[in-house]
Amino acid sequence: MEKRLNELNFDEEGTVKEIDESLLRQVAGMGVRIGKNVRMTTKQPMKGPVVVEIDKSFTSLGRSMAEKIVVEVKK
Amino acid sequence: MKILLMGHPNVGKSVFFNRLTGANVIESNYSGTTVDYTRGYMSLDGKEVEVVDVPGTFSLDPKDRAEEVAVAMLKEAKDAYVICVIDSSKLERGLYLALQIMEEGYSVIIALNMDDVAEDKNIKIDNQKLEQVLGVPVVSTIAIENIGISKVISRLKDAKPVDVEDITVMRAGMNHCGRCGRT
Repeated sequence: MEKRLNELNFDEEGTVKEIDESLLRQVAGMGVRIGKNVRMTTKQPMKGPVVVEIDKSFTSLGRSMAEKIVVEVKK
Repeated sequence: MKILLMGHPNVGKSVFFNRLTGANVIESNYSGTTVDYTRGYMSLDGKEVEVVDVPGTFSLDPKDRAEEVAVAMLKEAKDAYVICVIDSSKLERGLYLALQIMEEGYSVIIALNMDDVAEDKNIKIDNQKLEQVLGVPVVSTIAIENIGISKVISRLKDAKPVDVEDITVMRAGMNHCGRCGRT
């Protein structure tokens, strides 16, 4: 099942499948690239940033950025 | 000769800077403590060398003011040595920036900082292998405890520009292109 990164529930894991062209380079430096496994760790309230775990480290992304990243959810 | 300290935010560049120059720049456990750069001097083989503490940046495509400063500093010092400070527990994303800097033709030395944190997380890094693959010196450090700093200095002379085309990702056993994120 596909979801946008910001739609992942707490502790839900997935594989990055698509990243909007406009962010591709921007998030690459933060460790978010196609094929990477991500796990949702925190969603800050009031449309705040989301924090995901990638390769044993945490990365926070603005909600609007997370919306432009598609992940294949692991069952 | 000029040395630039570059790396992601919050990896310990300023601690490194203080250890190298004996200065007392504010260090804190927050990203973005250094928004502007700081210059200092250290002596190397009897010569005075300029050291610059560059603000943290994720990549060479700047997204904010601090990153713009970082990229501009790099661009204006074409013959500088770059100590690329990487958080050992976040090695992979750190290498992304290191490769970008190497691609621009700078003499890079990689300092795998926060070695103790990586160890706590059970992350072991094969420095020699990494050095072989990248062709630049790789040194483990714990800057706040002053461990490995002198080793970085002694290996500065081994830093030289490398042709990134020579770094075959396959040799490292990786199957995708780290630069563009595409498989």
